[in-house]
Amino acid sequence: MSMTIDNEIAAAPATREIKTAPSRFRNQIGAYKIFRSENCIGCGKCASLCPHGVHERFGDSGKMVRPRDYRCRGENCRSEEYFCINKCPVGALALRRNPVYSTLGDYRWTADLILSTWDQAENGHITNETLESEFGASGGGFDKLRFRFPAVPSGVDPSEVDTSLELNRRSDDPAAHKIKIDVPWYGGGMSFGSISDNMMVSRARAAAAWNTFTCTGEGGYPELLRPYDDHIITQIATGLFGVREETIQRVKIAEFKYAQGAKPGLGGHLLGDKNTADVARMREAVQGTALFSPFPFHSVYSIEDHKKHVDWIKAMNPRALISAKVAAPSDVDMVAVGCYYAGVHIVHVDGSYGGTGAAPDIAKKNIALPIEYAITRVHNFLADEGVRDEITLIASGGLRSAHDIAKAIALGADGVVIGTSDMVAVECIRCGNCESGRGCARGIASTDRELKNLIDVEYATQRLINLYNSYREQLVGIISRLGLRSVAELRGRTDLLMHLDYSKPE
Amino acid sequence: MRNDNENMAARILESRRAISDAAPRREADKVEEEGGCGVTGFACSIPVAGRHIHAPSVQMHNRGNGKGGGIAAVGLSPDQLGVTREVLDTHYLLLVAALDPACVESLENKYIRPNFDIASEGTIDSIADWRDMPSLLVQPPQVRRYFVRVKPSVLDAFAVSNNLGSLERDRIEDEFVYQNSYRINTEYYAALGEKQAFVLSHGKNMMILKIVGYAEEAVEYYKLDDFKAHVWIAHQRYPTRGRVWHPAGAHPFIGMHEALVHNGDFANYYSVSEYLKQRNIRPLFLTDTEVSALEFDLLNRVYRYPLEYIIESLAPTTESDFDLLPPEKQKIYRRIQAAQIHGSPDGPWFFIIARNLLDGNGFQLLGITDTAMLRPQVFAIHDGEVKIGLVCSEKQAIDATLRSLASEDSRVCPVADRYWNARGGSSEDGGSFSFTLTGDPASAQSMKLVCRDKFGKEVAPPAGKKRLDISLPVGSENGDGMTTEFIREKLLAGDPEALSAAMMERMPRCNYDAVRSFAELVAEHSRLSDSARSAAIETLTTLNDLRYPTGSKMRSSVLQVVQVALDSVFKAVPPITGSGASRHRLIEFETRDALRAPSAGEDTLVINAAGFQPELEDRDSKIIIDAFRLGWRKFIVFNSTGQRFHGVGLGPDTTGVRIDCYGNVGDYLGSGMDGLEIRVHGDAQDQLCQIAKSGKLAVFGSVGQTFMYGAKGSEAYIMGNAAGRPLINAVGKPRVVINGTCLDYLAESFMAGDPLNGGGFAIVNGLEFDDDGRLRPLPRPYPGGNLFSLASGGAIYLRDPHSVTSSEQLNGGVFWKFTEADWALILPYLRENERLFGISIERDLLTVDGVLKSPLEVYRKVGAVNVKKLVAATGGVE
Repeated sequence: MSMTIDNEIAAAPATREIKTAPSRFRNQIGAYKIFRSENCIGCGKCASLCPHGVHERFGDSGKMVRPRDYRCRGENCRSEEYFCINKCPVGALALRRNPVYSTLGDYRWTADLILSTWDQAENGHITNETLESEFGASGGGFDKLRFRFPAVPSGVDPSEVDTSLELNRRSDDPAAHKIKIDVPWYGGGMSFGSISDNMMVSRARAAAAWNTFTCTGEGGYPELLRPYDDHIITQIATGLFGVREETIQRVKIAEFKYAQGAKPGLGGHLLGDKNTADVARMREAVQGTALFSPFPFHSVYSIEDHKKHVDWIKAMNPRALISAKVAAPSDVDMVAVGCYYAGVHIVHVDGSYGGTGAAPDIAKKNIALPIEYAITRVHNFLADEGVRDEITLIASGGLRSAHDIAKAIALGADGVVIGTSDMVAVECIRCGNCESGRGCARGIASTDRELKNLIDVEYATQRLINLYNSYREQLVGIISRLGLRSVAELRGRTDLLMHLDYSKPE
Repeated sequence: MRNDNENMAARILESRRAISDAAPRREADKVEEEGGCGVTGFACSIPVAGRHIHAPSVQMHNRGNGKGGGIAAVGLSPDQLGVTREVLDTHYLLLVAALDPACVESLENKYIRPNFDIASEGTIDSIADWRDMPSLLVQPPQVRRYFVRVKPSVLDAFAVSNNLGSLERDRIEDEFVYQNSYRINTEYYAALGEKQAFVLSHGKNMMILKIVGYAEEAVEYYKLDDFKAHVWIAHQRYPTRGRVWHPAGAHPFIGMHEALVHNGDFANYYSVSEYLKQRNIRPLFLTDTEVSALEFDLLNRVYRYPLEYIIESLAPTTESDFDLLPPEKQKIYRRIQAAQIHGSPDGPWFFIIARNLLDGNGFQLLGITDTAMLRPQVFAIHDGEVKIGLVCSEKQAIDATLRSLASEDSRVCPVADRYWNARGGSSEDGGSFSFTLTGDPASAQSMKLVCRDKFGKEVAPPAGKKRLDISLPVGSENGDGMTTEFIREKLLAGDPEALSAAMMERMPRCNYDAVRSFAELVAEHSRLSDSARSAAIETLTTLNDLRYPTGSKMRSSVLQVVQVALDSVFKAVPPITGSGASRHRLIEFETRDALRAPSAGEDTLVINAAGFQPELEDRDSKIIIDAFRLGWRKFIVFNSTGQRFHGVGLGPDTTGVRIDCYGNVGDYLGSGMDGLEIRVHGDAQDQLCQIAKSGKLAVFGSVGQTFMYGAKGSEAYIMGNAAGRPLINAVGKPRVVINGTCLDYLAESFMAGDPLNGGGFAIVNGLEFDDDGRLRPLPRPYPGGNLFSLASGGAIYLRDPHSVTSSEQLNGGVFWKFTEADWALILPYLRENERLFGISIERDLLTVDGVLKSPLEVYRKVGAVNVKKLVAATGGVE
């Protein structure tokens, strides 16, 4: 396999250690622009004032480095002692909104959410408190939900909070792996073809560092991922691309992708342009031909077929956990119960907000149930059935922040799957052109040999590790503020949530 | 006449307005979510006991989940019901399931006693305490049984008040009974509050019983083991809700004089329900099966459609099949489709219906598949003194039925005379077959069985053949038998080819005794040495696998003899626990824990599949994995009854592994195989060789649905047909020879590169064997409407010397010129095909109408539109 990644780097384990991982671009997008006029005398006053590192003096040269204005808090500093604009002795500094900021993002993934995700991915924590990092501006869904935090501190020590999640809860399948992940999320399926091997390896390394998982998607299992077998979910999707007995046997979790929340009832279609030589090799197809995934599994048209399908994977790998990724149609509750009776360990409900730019616009957000409705519906139905604690309920589809994760769990999920956040962490700008031409201009959703090398594995791994750290910090903060001690205690606590339109704050 | 019929239909539907208005208004939501299921049914020329629906039901446990099962019996015996033949034939047999027995009295006083003259009534016998059947989680309902006719005065009033007076009296009575049951179900089942009772069935000479459990538990609980009927159907249900406390949602469902079971799930339940509601028919049980039965009854009894038009309404003829219909049929079908399309169920479905045709027209078993054939289905017919028609989800269930019947009646052969699939919505068979029993059930003579397709074309069993009664001793009249010395000598010399060839040569003229004594001698002498055993296995396997003329003997009976002998050879293999040296070792369910590594000189593990589970830990295919890890490389599996996953789980690096399968191998065989070789000595089932990467498969029969779905490579040779969707989404380089044809959607989304440059292909020869084992071309080598749809790579090589296949059958593909290069590519595969199946390239494939032709005149090539251009641009595939 002709990969341009250095195999040694790919195989080197990463740790959870937070290291600053700055932008890979010369001009990182920020909320503000600082203009330094020619009047600047290079006195360095602004550099000594700014606590956010926007200004820096270039050694003793008497020259200033170009402002790192993506760090700038802009108007938020106006009342501060250190507000550089006012303090410049020669008035050489000017502050404006960055015009790019206003064009960035959308109502769901706002510019603030994107910038904050970048901040967290760079630093491992939220360093820019002025960005709205908790919710977007969609006017619905998680954006309308808030936690009811107690007015008085709960007294729970954040260091006591347990964020781990057991993925195999079935008491009737002792042969299957017991798997506990350290954070209540793992990475969603992104296929080789839709993203590059650089990106896949980076996700796997970050997953291994955080003792969680990432998923291959349906485009095959690149050999580069071998060192991370214990942290890979291999996906079996309707096209069965790259699915081999051997890849199913080497993993601990196999995921059936029945449907995708962004486009339930629709199959996949990799356009010929993105079927490059490497992708074709992995999928054992011909370069340049369009590749189709049918919308159903042609071998599964009913529930007893589904059970047989699950049994098949168990015949290949009896210890593997089986996850069934389903979309959220109005009868998703019954689908979930059916999954339980078929022997599935994880039912993964994918709501309608997620999906990349490759999903057709007409389908996105228009077909399935919004995830916040689907979660409670499934959670309650499983509970009524008396099997809630025998199966792990994972939610996905448009979870953008630590707060979204916490809300999904409070609604009834055991854990979540994140996808787009991983991409944003490596500076996806949500332009939505994933499927066109050679692919992503930022080298994320592309296997083009030039474009994909815009992503360095070390950089991407660290950005993901940093983001996960920040997510966990915030999650621990939320849980401890609520007076709880674990993610498990948060599950299903809808009483701790309020809806801005329907609930009265207490 | 036409207007009369229309008016009457309108009046009947109008008469239902009151009951429809009284029915609870619900959102048109299915409350019962289910898809799956196993369905099975058979019709027999003699009445047979309920225990024979037991075996196929048990074998299809894994198509249900024990939370809903049911059976229906049509064509009953009066004596076991304590009524006269006259009462049985003329009276409605009303069965009411009392979920709450306390409601019976009020129900009877309101709906039964005032309306009916009751000839006989009682409670259906059941075992004393339901807890004696530990598998039952819920007490089955008490079932009240009434033989009734509507009181003349009541019927008169009904006719007058509904303006139905000009309708035939028995039709008015049917309608009254129907509406009366509907009222019972509305009040005691569908209304708010406790569910108390519902009508199980009300047709004449038929009954339905349902249970929260498996279908055969209904037989057991209601003590029907010895209860005889001509037609039996059963259903294993798979409701996805776990807690089910009553069996009302289980199948079968009734129309009037029919019981319907269903495997599938409508995508347009809402639309079909609306269609029915507009006709004052409001579903009460909220499953798509109920809706199916209501619709069948509407078309049959209200609109009085002939069966053909009912089938057309349910499974319309479309695409190229429609074009092939005669113009007058097109005209009618177009009208039917225009009128009924909103009531036509969409999505996967397969119906089995048992019904009483009344008025001396006999009993009928009917199977109808949807147009896209999304559910598996197999039909079969058994001829002889006892005639049987069968239809099931899986072939193994058919064979289980026949085995069960054969175990008690030596006139029944455990092998059917024909097995086939229906092609849904097709111009050939219409996707439906009926088995109709006619004659007087009261006479000692058995009834006559006729099988017809949708268009009325008869499917006749092989003509002029005699059935073997295997219970008779082998006679001394050996005909043209072989000497013991010859058999012994060839076995010891390890020359099975000579033995099987000699037997096949004699087969057309010898009698059953000759075949039986030959088989017995071969089996007996197999014990002489390892090489004799190997030679005996090979000899008998050849006779089992190949097609050859059998003279006046039925092929099924010859197979029965051969299979009995093979079974005895396998069972005589030294056990794994035994001592002494042998190449072969036998492992059985009881000795499974004794599995060990092969000792020196041992090379073949023989596995008796009897007693093993179809899936999970206790399955025989798991023994293969464990044994492979211990060093075994050759496997023989026999006695399979639908066990799954053979050849799965061995991982890569399995070159040199060989698995031979006998009996009814189950689904997913070889799915994932990477290097190994599998031979299936008979028909195989569904989902074979999914994602297969490399290796070789040979099936001496046909294969089921989605064969080689998503395959990446490997070679496969199929002696017969592949059902729906073979090679769908296959990539890489699978190379397949199908000697028969396939139902539809062959190689949809095929992406197997350029076959001339290392890619994959499928050869479809479009042949079938006649009843004398001779090959003949099918009328159309590929009858379906979707060949190579949306495919972007690979090719289909079609033996189509008369260019019958048209470009209308392609959906995105094109005919490419078949060149010498193509012939050079496929020739080695056809040679292997010849070696395996005896299908000669010269005699059978290249000879057309008696004339030897050039391959370029015989084969055609279907490929992707732009593959050449792409290949030129990219330098081909690796």
